[in-house]
Amino acid sequence: MESLIAEAICMGIALYGAVRTVLEKETLLKLPFVNVMNFGIAGLIVFILPHPLTLVAAAAYFVGSTLEANAIASAIARRRQE
Amino acid sequence: MLEEFGRIVVAAVIAWILFLSLDIFWRLPQKGGVSGADAIGEAIAGRDGDQHGGWMMGNIVCSPDASAGTLLAACGVFVAGLPGGIAAAVLVYIGNRICHDKGYAGTSGALIATLIIAGFMQIGFFASDFIAGMVLAILTIQGISHIHASRLIGYFWRWRA
Repeated sequence: MESLIAEAICMGIALYGAVRTVLEKETLLKLPFVNVMNFGIAGLIVFILPHPLTLVAAAAYFVGSTLEANAIASAIARRRQE
Repeated sequence: MLEEFGRIVVAAVIAWILFLSLDIFWRLPQKGGVSGADAIGEAIAGRDGDQHGGWMMGNIVCSPDASAGTLLAACGVFVAGLPGGIAAAVLVYIGNRICHDKGYAGTSGALIATLIIAGFMQIGFFASDFIAGMVLAILTIQGISHIHASRLIGYFWRWRA
């Protein structure tokens, strides 16, 4: 129970990142806000299910979302070059 | 209750110093590591931000760096103690290789953060404080103002370079 405040902070920051993502107009500049949301959610996954294997789930979520952001950014970069 | 807030703020400051110094040590602001990071850096520079700071923010988005290492190490220590932190470092290294990164910053960040968190747990901190602290630290860099954060990183980068 003692980590309830930490959990609330992670959830609040994840929500804040999601709201800022929606409000930002330019797609490339949305990605840092998505990154903030991913940090919050990766932390939340561990708080919700404190079990050693959860670490693998959190890492898989985080690396997967990073890879997606990487793919979106590089696709936009390539489209600009053409 | 107030005590936990205090611990989280202290953990956030430690995590902030740790991940910024490691990222700058591994030269993340020097250039965009992949084309996507390069494009994000230029988009931030296009809005009157700093070019080097923008590249570093792009690199943080596009590959797990020391900040991701610190977060996952805190998660690992939270669920499984010191071995969990080491396992987190291995997972971050695998993630770095998936994202075409050499993986120095992420892996060293996870290992150093594991040691720091284990040390602070001896003096009454919890690993959960560092999870929330790292989320707060990344919020200040990536989530409030791209322009000001990139200028701050650019200032540190010129100081190092």
